[in-house]
Amino acid sequence: MVGTPVLFIAIPLLAAFLIPLLGFVWKESVRILPGLVLLYLLYLAVNLMGQVAHSGTIVEVIAGWAPPWGINLVFSPLTGLLTTLMILMGFIIWIYSYRFKNIDFREAVKYFILLLMMITGSVGIVLTGDIFNQFVFIEITSISAYALTAFYKGRDSAEASFKYLIIGSLSSMFLLLAIVLIYSQLGTLNMADIADKAHLMKPGFKILALIFFITGLGIEAEIFPLNGWTPDAYAQAPGPVGAAFSGIVVKAGVYAMIRVIFTLFDVSGTHQFLIIIGMITLIIAEMAAVKQDRLKRMLAYSSIGQMGLVIVAFGIGTEEGVFAALFLMLNHAIIKSLLFLSGSYLVYNSTEKYIHETDGLAKHLPITSFLFALGAIAIVGMPPFAGFWSKWSILSAAAHSNMILVIVLILSVSIIELVYYFRVVNRIYFFPKQKEVEPKRPTINALIAMSILGILILVIGFYPDSVTGYLHSASQSLLEKGKYIQDVLSTGQLFIQ
Amino acid sequence: MNMIYIVFIVLLGGALLTFFANRISGLLRDTFFLLTILATTVLFFTKIHIGDTVSFTLAGLNLKWGLDAFGWYFSLIVLGLGTMAAFYALSYMKGKDRLGYFYFSFLISILSMLGILMSHDLVSFFIFWEVMTWSSYLIVIYSGRNVQKNGINYILLSALGAYAMLTAIVMVYANIHTLSISEMINTYPQFSHVQQVWLPVLFLMAFSVKAAMMPLHVWAPGAYSDAPMAYTSVFSGALSKMGIYGMVIVFVSMISYLPDDTLFKETFAWLGAITAILGTLWAIAQDDARKLLAYSSIAQLGYIITGVAVGTDLAMLSALFLAALHALFKGTLFMAVGAIERQTGTVKFTEVTGLIRKMPWTFIASLLAIIALAGIPPLGGFVGKWMLYESLINSNHYILVIAIFFASTAAFLYCYKFLFGFFLGQEEKEWENVKEAPALMVLPMLILAAGTLVLGTFPGILLKPADAAMQTLGYASTEGHLWSMSILFNEWGDQVLLRPLVYAIAGTFLFFLIILTVKGWKNTRYVSTKDISSSGEVPLEYENLTFSVNFYQPFLRAVGPVMKKRMIYYYREFGSGMEALFDYSRRIYNGNGQTYAIYVMIFLVIILLFKNSIFG
Amino acid sequence: MEFKLFDLSIVEYAFFITAVLIILIGLYGALVKKTLIKIVIGLSVLDAGINLLLISVGYVKSGTAPIFSPALIKDMPLTLENIKKLSEGMVDPVPQALVLTAIVIGFGVTAVALSLVIRLYRHHHTLNIDEIKNLKW
Repeated sequence: MVGTPVLFIAIPLLAAFLIPLLGFVWKESVRILPGLVLLYLLYLAVNLMGQVAHSGTIVEVIAGWAPPWGINLVFSPLTGLLTTLMILMGFIIWIYSYRFKNIDFREAVKYFILLLMMITGSVGIVLTGDIFNQFVFIEITSISAYALTAFYKGRDSAEASFKYLIIGSLSSMFLLLAIVLIYSQLGTLNMADIADKAHLMKPGFKILALIFFITGLGIEAEIFPLNGWTPDAYAQAPGPVGAAFSGIVVKAGVYAMIRVIFTLFDVSGTHQFLIIIGMITLIIAEMAAVKQDRLKRMLAYSSIGQMGLVIVAFGIGTEEGVFAALFLMLNHAIIKSLLFLSGSYLVYNSTEKYIHETDGLAKHLPITSFLFALGAIAIVGMPPFAGFWSKWSILSAAAHSNMILVIVLILSVSIIELVYYFRVVNRIYFFPKQKEVEPKRPTINALIAMSILGILILVIGFYPDSVTGYLHSASQSLLEKGKYIQDVLSTGQLFIQ
Repeated sequence: MNMIYIVFIVLLGGALLTFFANRISGLLRDTFFLLTILATTVLFFTKIHIGDTVSFTLAGLNLKWGLDAFGWYFSLIVLGLGTMAAFYALSYMKGKDRLGYFYFSFLISILSMLGILMSHDLVSFFIFWEVMTWSSYLIVIYSGRNVQKNGINYILLSALGAYAMLTAIVMVYANIHTLSISEMINTYPQFSHVQQVWLPVLFLMAFSVKAAMMPLHVWAPGAYSDAPMAYTSVFSGALSKMGIYGMVIVFVSMISYLPDDTLFKETFAWLGAITAILGTLWAIAQDDARKLLAYSSIAQLGYIITGVAVGTDLAMLSALFLAALHALFKGTLFMAVGAIERQTGTVKFTEVTGLIRKMPWTFIASLLAIIALAGIPPLGGFVGKWMLYESLINSNHYILVIAIFFASTAAFLYCYKFLFGFFLGQEEKEWENVKEAPALMVLPMLILAAGTLVLGTFPGILLKPADAAMQTLGYASTEGHLWSMSILFNEWGDQVLLRPLVYAIAGTFLFFLIILTVKGWKNTRYVSTKDISSSGEVPLEYENLTFSVNFYQPFLRAVGPVMKKRMIYYYREFGSGMEALFDYSRRIYNGNGQTYAIYVMIFLVIILLFKNSIFG
Repeated sequence: MEFKLFDLSIVEYAFFITAVLIILIGLYGALVKKTLIKIVIGLSVLDAGINLLLISVGYVKSGTAPIFSPALIKDMPLTLENIKKLSEGMVDPVPQALVLTAIVIGFGVTAVALSLVIRLYRHHHTLNIDEIKNLKW
């Protein structure tokens, strides 16, 4: 055994604590340490994935308190997949931002601590098997996200961060209310235990708790109309943080919501509800994206839209639907991160980040522009790139469930998406460059990070089988509620019979 | 490894090599480009045989590629025209930027077309279809002119069509749990009635976008004229034929099972005819030769669609024949325009005149192609049109014949305009130093033009593979019964009954042409455009006095009302309406953090109020 | 909604009613007040209300602290039944642990919020949230 799931939380927390201390000794360690940590965790995650595929879900008991009393971490095919994805994205974002804030040591310390905390929090949300613990991780993620959003002093970033904070506080309020309701009814906080006993809850309270959960987690998962903070936060945060939001944080939020809906409660009508709100989110976000004049804001709306699509796919509820949703989450993490990373170089020296400032930059930043174009083509679902396969899976899942209207709406929205992405790519390649724009050439580490993402897009696009196996076992693991309960509750000895 | 894989690997690898070789040297890039296309053509026609298939599994889907006679017929068009255009491109594109990008997209679009023709399952068909869309889109925007308008129009309508097709594909997949095209065709009669109607509608939407059929043609004039002419010849000649390819399959395998009262055939036959008429009329009005040819392509594809939609064996044969022939002559014409554009820098009839002596070979190629286009014997166009008329009359579509006849007569006007505007008329000082295009550009044109000549005399060369293609689709062989019944041919077109007559007509025509030319030669006096009598008025310097200005003014005035409102205006208005709506919708995000918080509470309250109906 | 479920007498409802009232006051502050500082105060009040609600869940009427002190155990053997009997009179310790955590988190959020308010004031020279809308649409 190479390690246990608890290391995913312990090591980065420790590292975040050590960074400033080590920084006094050797300044460069501030930059190197997060990378080493993430690389080790990636190694660990891949190893554990192999172990899970071989011998089933790993349940780790913290401090000897067996479930349902203590906190436990669950590394199942589903959570393992998401953990691996998040750590991978984190690692790539670390490569990208290695030279970030090169001059200012103190800024770099802040940045890397917050980034590590955010990744840890997101991984914790996914791994934990305890709802209160999940709440704590959500708060860790949110607080570091507030701080990272407000990272740049000159811009309107504080405004964005404050909006995020108001909505985020409401989110935590709803989560706590839901936890109170559940605890008062069942006297337990363990997810598997709650799932096991959920039928004992009074139906009214159960639905109330579900509604509070949906509202609270919906804020993290960016569903409409709870996503007012999203475009601002994405647009104002530094580029790599935007990538981390769309590649890591949102994924954790969606996971938490889906876990509640699929595992904790079994309320009929939830799936239809998911489809409806997902659809509304998708449509409104893509509509709003068309007329954006700022690049990152456009990407943010697009990100919201994709999350809506993920939720629609989860709402379909069949194994195929869940598979499609996970596939889309994977692709979206990769592609949207690429768009954010390359996009932030396209508008590097601009304060307002207008789209027209990217005009004609293809000549000056050929590789960055190319990767942005690749991302744009991939995200609208053009074959043979990664986005196509997830779109195909969603459509075929919807078709198998006879949801023609869903198919039609998804495709109509895809056309809108196609138009605004291609407009931007056209500008980058074919418009005359604005005189006052001074393009900033990407550093070598940024190029490496972006190229890795580009290669991933191509690999998944040409050989989707490289990931579908994991996605299938992950989707089965989400749907097999009984197995999850059994896996968790059978761990360790029960303290009181 | 199977040869089918190898062809695709050669094309993909060649495209990538060409792309990267661009950074090393131009010669290397050109060599790779030419080698790739030649190797593909050679491998395809020597190593891949009709009936070869390969199948494999990707992402849990069973995909199957293979070649049948029908696909082979169209690959003949794609690779034949593609190779010619590749040679032409080498010379035409010389000295332009981003050549790696252009050649890459060129090769990828050839790959995607071959892929479409060899796909035996719906997913690879769709994948290649989309690859074809974006690779051709890359070339449409290559020049950088009007990218936001024409490029977006093209990709938007293509996506509309492609997504309609995708809807149909997932419907089929959900229904029969397999992606095989033949399986879909076999089980089609058992589908529910709603699906039986919707499937062809959705598929045809995709195909009619690519085939530029009314009312989905609006992308074509812009896209055809903005792409470099070296590619437009492929674009209009081969790529649009993919739409025809799909249509033929849908009509033969689906619509023929539908009861007659669904009126699919009538509707599409008429849409084809209307496309032909309007395309022709618009072509006549154009001043830009590229636009003229673009509208002419739309019109020509209209005939083909009519032939496909009518669907009797003769009509189908004529459609297939015309499809190949259109590739030949439209390829030639676009290349000719490209040559003129390259040598003079403009393609406007009102600017260029009298090139006949400067660019004689281009003229000859254009002349042959124009004759073929207009359907004058003895060139191939005549054979195709004749078969179309005959089939329409045989199947009692008399009004349709009149419509088609009107369109193809009116086509003479733009044919004449093309020839006369560019090549005949006064020679102007401005174009004194124009030289003939390089041999590498002229030769492909001449070869293609010679093709139309050969096919006019020996249509059997093409009709035999077309017949084999139709047999794959389930038609009985037309070889025996059809040809003996036709007025035109007795034996498979090897001996044209009318040939002596045709040659007599042609000979007389040529004789008079020579006499008149020789006679006229002596009386020729060279004048400038300013040297005209204009009732005592002296024309101003800036007045354009070229004869091509308002060339068909009376005619255009007569048909004016028809052409007043173009379809694209309605699309534009719809589009700007939608954008205004989108712009309005984003005002939900009004910037006030507190409002967002209130949205959260409203969301909660709404769910709480309706919780009984939401969570049943 | 039936409140019987909590199985408490009317006095103990007071906890819930107070908690809900505090939450509503906090929401009022956060959603209606225009001054940034007041919004932050509203959010803190909200937190306090929720914490009160959380802790009242574990409340047992006249319960003792959940500690097995030597005085409590005396000489009883630690059998299962004895433990059960002893723990009946104790308040539930879990909500208290949760509330401690929640208080810390609330403190962190408030600190971040206040520092953001300072930044906003320096940037916009106003504390009115209606005037801080540079980012919209």
